[in-house]
Amino acid sequence: MLLDLAQWLSQDYRAFSVFNYITLRAVLACLTALAISLLTGPLVIRQLTAYKIGQSVRDDGPKSHLTKAGTPTMGGALVLISMLIATLLWSDLGNRFVWAVLVVTFGFGAIGWVDDYRKVVHRNPKGLSARSKFFWQSLIGLAAAVYLAFAVPAPSNAKLIELFMQWVQSGLQMDLPNKADLIVPFFKNIAYPLGVFGFITLSFFVIVGTSNAVNLTDGLDGLAIMPTVMVGSALGIFAYVVGNSLYAKYLLFPYIPGAGELTVFCAALAGAGLGFLWFNAYPAEVFMGDVGALSIGAALGTVAIITRQEIVLFIMGGVFVAETLSVMLQVMYFKATGGKRIFRMAPLHHHYELGGWKESQVVIRFWIITMMLVLFGLSTLKLR
Amino acid sequence: MSAMRKNRMMEGMGATYIRALGANVMATPISSIRFWIITMMLVLFGLSTLKLR
Repeated sequence: MLLDLAQWLSQDYRAFSVFNYITLRAVLACLTALAISLLTGPLVIRQLTAYKIGQSVRDDGPKSHLTKAGTPTMGGALVLISMLIATLLWSDLGNRFVWAVLVVTFGFGAIGWVDDYRKVVHRNPKGLSARSKFFWQSLIGLAAAVYLAFAVPAPSNAKLIELFMQWVQSGLQMDLPNKADLIVPFFKNIAYPLGVFGFITLSFFVIVGTSNAVNLTDGLDGLAIMPTVMVGSALGIFAYVVGNSLYAKYLLFPYIPGAGELTVFCAALAGAGLGFLWFNAYPAEVFMGDVGALSIGAALGTVAIITRQEIVLFIMGGVFVAETLSVMLQVMYFKATGGKRIFRMAPLHHHYELGGWKESQVVIRFWIITMMLVLFGLSTLKLR
Repeated sequence: MSAMRKNRMMEGMGATYIRALGANVMATPISSIRFWIITMMLVLFGLSTLKLR
């Protein structure tokens, strides 16, 4: 929005041309989102408390968590609102990838909102049933995957339709251009051609999987939001590289026109996340709830698909992956052995808590691991 | 020593984080993390000078 204004003003005042730079707009989006979440945070927390939107705590969880009962939840709405305003203010609103990511993020946010609302307002402990939650996640994930399969290799929406028609006319046999290949980190000459169905399947699992993985990780104060900020910021750097023809060519990445604008979105996500962390740090004044966790997870997945960094997301989001695997392994092992457990408790953060680590120790140690994984992921920019 | 006097003494110690802790406003992790967030923002602001010249 402000980009259009700056471009108009730059006709008379050249100084406004500085707003054409994605990097500057990204910094401003980050600061704007942070300011909005810091300023509106106390108000949102007061409103959530007034409406008695308090978190219920699992009674089979660690005993230390029972004191958290009644802490306001659905604070993820704060992240979403701050991020939306900052993105709308500072990004190029004609960019199709920005809109795609916003639609997916808010679609998943709506699912989380309904789930949270039923749980805490209607006092329905089941919330949205697992089946209907998965149905709506799948619907949005699949729609996004189909759109991105043709949007990523096509430089504009007109070319997207052309590419789609060619694919239909070929009897669904045509392969996608090699921009849509799966990039294998550390190998400059290896990129796996996915084909249309492969791309859609992978993208679907990345979006839905990341969304649920972040949701599982969101079990301790600040545990989910800080890794999201770190991974989101790193994906912003990847978006900047693949969206810039010079850097993409130099670093041997496919050039994806328009992807650079996602840097602004990622920066807004980072700013909103840090603002939320201000209130979510131990002892938390507000929890994120499904409305935040599902949506920011889906946002990370979608940005990773557009920037062709699915494997790098898997590396950088190692904490999310480990948390998810711990739940899957625990359930499978429990069923296979008739009641034995691998971990003291799943997800993984509870295993360490019951092992004697304090909550803030678990959280900060998981942050440190994420920092290392993000650095490792960023090293794939050059190490190829 | 009364709690009020103790708080006054801690405020006298100077550092902002001691003041935050001494007034029982914040527990240790939240005050540390808020100071980290402020530092991150200042770093970002510093980095923006790469471009804003």
